Amino acid sequence: MTKTTDMSLLNSVCVRCHTGFRQDERIVNSHGEVWHEQCFVCAQCFRPFPEGVFFEFEGRKYCEHDFHVLFAPCCGKCNEFVIGRVIKALNNSWHPQCFLCELCNCELADTGFVKNRGRALCHPCHLKEKAASSGKHICYRCHGVVEEDMLIKYKQEPYHAYHFNCTHCSEELNGTARELRGELYCLPCHDKMGIPICKACHRPIEERIVTALGKHWHVEHFVCARCEKPFLGHKHYEKNGKAYCETHYNQLFGNMCFFCNKAITSEMMCTMSKTWCDEHFFCMCCDSLLTTKSKFIEFDLKPVCKRCYDRFPNELKRRQKKTEMASKKYGKNEK
Amino acid sequence: MSKSVKKQVDDARDNKHQDLDLSDKSISKLHDIPELFSLSNLVRLTLSHNKIDVVPPHLVELTSLEVLNLFNNHIEELPTNISSMQNLKILNVGMNRLYSLPRGFGSFPKLEILDLTYNNLNENSLPGNFFLLDTLRALYLSDNDFELLPEEIGQLTKLEVLGVRDNDLIALPKAIGQLVKLKELHIQGNRITVLPPELGKLDLYTGRNIMKAEHNPWVPPIADQFQVGASHVFDYIRSETYKYLYGRHVQAGAAPPPKTNAKAKKISRREIYGKK
Repeated sequence: MTKTTDMSLLNSVCVRCHTGFRQDERIVNSHGEVWHEQCFVCAQCFRPFPEGVFFEFEGRKYCEHDFHVLFAPCCGKCNEFVIGRVIKALNNSWHPQCFLCELCNCELADTGFVKNRGRALCHPCHLKEKAASSGKHICYRCHGVVEEDMLIKYKQEPYHAYHFNCTHCSEELNGTARELRGELYCLPCHDKMGIPICKACHRPIEERIVTALGKHWHVEHFVCARCEKPFLGHKHYEKNGKAYCETHYNQLFGNMCFFCNKAITSEMMCTMSKTWCDEHFFCMCCDSLLTTKSKFIEFDLKPVCKRCYDRFPNELKRRQKKTEMASKKYGKNEK
Repeated sequence: MSKSVKKQVDDARDNKHQDLDLSDKSISKLHDIPELFSLSNLVRLTLSHNKIDVVPPHLVELTSLEVLNLFNNHIEELPTNISSMQNLKILNVGMNRLYSLPRGFGSFPKLEILDLTYNNLNENSLPGNFFLLDTLRALYLSDNDFELLPEEIGQLTKLEVLGVRDNDLIALPKAIGQLVKLKELHIQGNRITVLPPELGKLDLYTGRNIMKAEHNPWVPPIADQFQVGASHVFDYIRSETYKYLYGRHVQAGAAPPPKTNAKAKKISRREIYGKK
């Protein structure tokens, strides 16, 4: 805008009222058009433009306030007028700083967005949502879907294995890679690092190791060969390269006490084709406890203490003696 | 009743002992110790080497009793209600004067070891339900007068030990082949000439398993196998040759060898003979 007394303008007319200008009159010149000062006002409120700032729309000039009131869009989020850059999306207008991913709140103005069930989401969030609903993993780095054969978990997050290299041999990793103490290794390097392999599941043992039967086991994989329950620190019994719980070891291989008919867990008396708990080895006649130091006689493969045997009728002892002699004669060729 | 017996019984009652040893106390009448039958905590009672001739029915009041030892007494008869002892597992009535077992004897629910060695029992003195004792692990009938073992013995499927030494058996039952758990067989001193081929189903020669069979009038082929060992006997009785010979032998129906009088002097008989 200029104020001029230029003679060439004396023949001009005001763009608004089409009348001429007096010689001493101030003329407004804007973009080659000339105005009376009182004509150069807002088309809505007819007041001069504050600080000369106007907005033009369809050939008419408005002050900032009236222009906004008449034509500026409102932000769908904060309901303020949007001045400058307007983001038109989802049938609404937005400030760029108000148009955010509904899940992660990142600005979507420059990266673009995806409509997901009526929500504006950034691409990563959209992929995650999609994957979650389809049961697939989304790479934490590239946000692409990770197929099962390339999937690794690193610090709890899913990744494409090919984003990483083996900490040891630097080869690009594949889905067989393993995490160990916060580092990633290819399977051959992992196995070479002396990680014990569980004999039951053939997978490395990275937590508590049970060493038994000359092999290593995951705690939960070292189980009774019969009932397949883990020992979890309980005593196990070995037989022919297999481990059994107490119950099943005794059931399968244990010596049963002839007296109590239970598996012998204490010291065992083994004689007369039978076994006894040492606290159950009684004289069959007087029920007195016998030990290895006691004097006892075998009678029908039952123990009889010396005192009781001495009370046996003589005729019985005589018959026993005869049988004994005969069995010696019979037995001479056996065993 | 001697003072020491009374003291022991009182002590057992006051301290709720589970075991009571009254062996060799010259006890002749259990009725003289009425306090005995109130010892409901008693698990094991030893009355061996006494002179008990009558077992009173009150004995069943010892409801916790698991082991009862009456070895070497003068018992001729057991009370009919003895088989109602719900927890009895081991009963030793060896070396007594039993000539029969009471009616219903086979209804013990838990009996595992039954020792009737050295009595005067035979197949006719067993009550009808005797072989319902299918909890039995060991049955000792040695030094008795059995001539035959009933085929029902095959029902005692838990039997691990069968003792019939020094009876008058003329044969073993075929059903012995059903005793698949049998580990110990005593058949010495009988009149057995042949073994049933069914015995071949059992293993009584490997490991601790054993068959004692001396002093029987075996037919020569079996006697020959015994000369070389029990495993040879089993191999032999499993053979087709033997099955054929056994069939022929049974068909021929040869008279069994006569009884010997080897047991004539058994002390279990004296009282009976004295009575007669």
